[in-house]
Amino acid sequence: MNGLHLPPAPLPAPGVSAAGSGDLMIEAEGVSKVYGTVHALDSVSLAVPRGTVLGLLGHNGAGKTTLVDILTTALPPTSGRARVAGYDVADKPVEIRRRIGLTGQFASVDAQLSGYDNLVLIARLLGAGRRAARVRARELLELFRLTEVADRRASSYSGGLRRRLDLAVSLVGAPEVLFLDEPTTGLDPSSRINLWEIVEGLVEQGTTVLLTTQYLEEADRLADRIAVLSAGRVVAAGTAPELKATVGRRTVTLTLETGEDVSAARTALRGAGFAPVDGEARTVVVPIDATREIADIIRSLDQAGVEASELNFGEPTLDDVYLTLAEQAAGRTRA
Amino acid sequence: MTTQLAPPLPPAVPRPAAVPAFGGSSLLTQIRVLTGRSLRAMVTDPGIVLFGLIQPVVILFVLTQVFSKMGMPPHFPDGVSYLDYVLPAVLVDNAAQSAMQSGVGLVEDQKNGIVARLRSLPVHPGALLAARSLVGLVRSAVQVAVIMALAMTVLGYSPNGGAAELALSAGLTLFISFSLGWAFIAAGAWLRRAEPLQNLALIVIFPLMFASSAYVPVADLPSWLGAVASVNPLTYAIDATRALALDVPGLDHAIPAVVICAVIAVVGMITAVRGFRRPL
Repeated sequence: MNGLHLPPAPLPAPGVSAAGSGDLMIEAEGVSKVYGTVHALDSVSLAVPRGTVLGLLGHNGAGKTTLVDILTTALPPTSGRARVAGYDVADKPVEIRRRIGLTGQFASVDAQLSGYDNLVLIARLLGAGRRAARVRARELLELFRLTEVADRRASSYSGGLRRRLDLAVSLVGAPEVLFLDEPTTGLDPSSRINLWEIVEGLVEQGTTVLLTTQYLEEADRLADRIAVLSAGRVVAAGTAPELKATVGRRTVTLTLETGEDVSAARTALRGAGFAPVDGEARTVVVPIDATREIADIIRSLDQAGVEASELNFGEPTLDDVYLTLAEQAAGRTRA
Repeated sequence: MTTQLAPPLPPAVPRPAAVPAFGGSSLLTQIRVLTGRSLRAMVTDPGIVLFGLIQPVVILFVLTQVFSKMGMPPHFPDGVSYLDYVLPAVLVDNAAQSAMQSGVGLVEDQKNGIVARLRSLPVHPGALLAARSLVGLVRSAVQVAVIMALAMTVLGYSPNGGAAELALSAGLTLFISFSLGWAFIAAGAWLRRAEPLQNLALIVIFPLMFASSAYVPVADLPSWLGAVASVNPLTYAIDATRALALDVPGLDHAIPAVVICAVIAVVGMITAVRGFRRPL
């Protein structure tokens, strides 16, 4: 489906059935999670081929973490089926856990232990001997540029360091599938870019990644395909350009001098058949279908005697996609 | 190890293997590794062990200084000083406090991030609980040894029992600590907060210690309290450890004490694993 390099001649993982699942590393079919009357997940289906990144986009409470919990076997689904690395989450949780790495929203490292000891601990738990565990720990410390702080307690690490250690710990077992649940939330920009580069390197090596994020920029940069989750449902899925083409609209953003001008502009534009929305401080955002409509906008403003101090033309961004979808979803639930 | 390193392109990352890099570990290895982890934390932060010693030492001092001046109650065993009488009880009390610490330790693990990590690994949920229990046992053993050594050298504790009986008494004290440890680990797995756990210990252990043969023979307690004491499991536990250490009557309470402790331990283990399995 895309130009990503697969690792040379990977052995088929045991348990991957030749029929159907092919080289899908994550599959969900109608996965639901119900708490009482709340549908945290409502029949979610998705498929992630080996060596690709699926970006799962959604705001807080959309169900992203619940889905990650189910796929990482921390939580059983109420209904539906899910397979990871060829194994069913319900039947073979241990086989799945041997093949996945998880970096959650909060760094899951032992704060009392040093970075080095954390890595050795996990390697030992995965079955490495003492020596192999030490070698693996040093390897990962070096790869993640943590060697200098290796002997300090993780509790003394900065947020960025801790997140890097967390990711290193997730990779001790060289997982085939990596789950990143909002991996850059709360990170400063340079730590964020550093983490993106690490993830890109992993994918280049053939790792399959499911990434949840609230940052559209992040999904745009890392993900091959994006699924938008809203109120527990996948409301859209596709590549970033596909999503932009289907849902995102071009917009004209008008900046006005006063609050009265804003309402006057709004009234005038509505009268001309547009659907303006209020933007940030004294701006009005007008979705348009064609470039020539800009002329109509200017004409209707002129007729109303309103002058815009600034006029910007915007191509659709993932932000627009997400907002539009969220509005549609909200409209559906209200209806 | 099947992990390969990528050529030195920044950032170099290990290639995922279709077969996991490591072969998986047995439950025993998991328990050993996780016990080592907590022991390491205990050694690097010995304050917890030492702090745990303050209470028994203070209690020992207060009891021997205050109560020994009040004259012996009528049913007090012959040829036994009050210090001798009360020391086995202080050890059992300490065992209970140490057991509470096991529960607190588990609560801290749950906050620390390590539990979240273990959930995504092929690690048995009971491994961390067992590790907590074993660490508690080590802590208890250190404390029993220190208190006994201190009592013998400084306070003049002179138990009549032989070395073997004394060792058996200490062993029984540790078994009590082990079984109560599982009760508190179960409480920690369900409550997931340290405060209610400490309150539970205060509400349960503190009164039960006084309504037992710990500080005064049951026959010398007011009749209603004596009735409570005679069904209080701690009375059996203390009577048995005391009988062994001091060579006084009460050894017939050893079997019920062991049975009660075994039941608490087994119920605690099952309850703990069930509580621990619930999502965070």
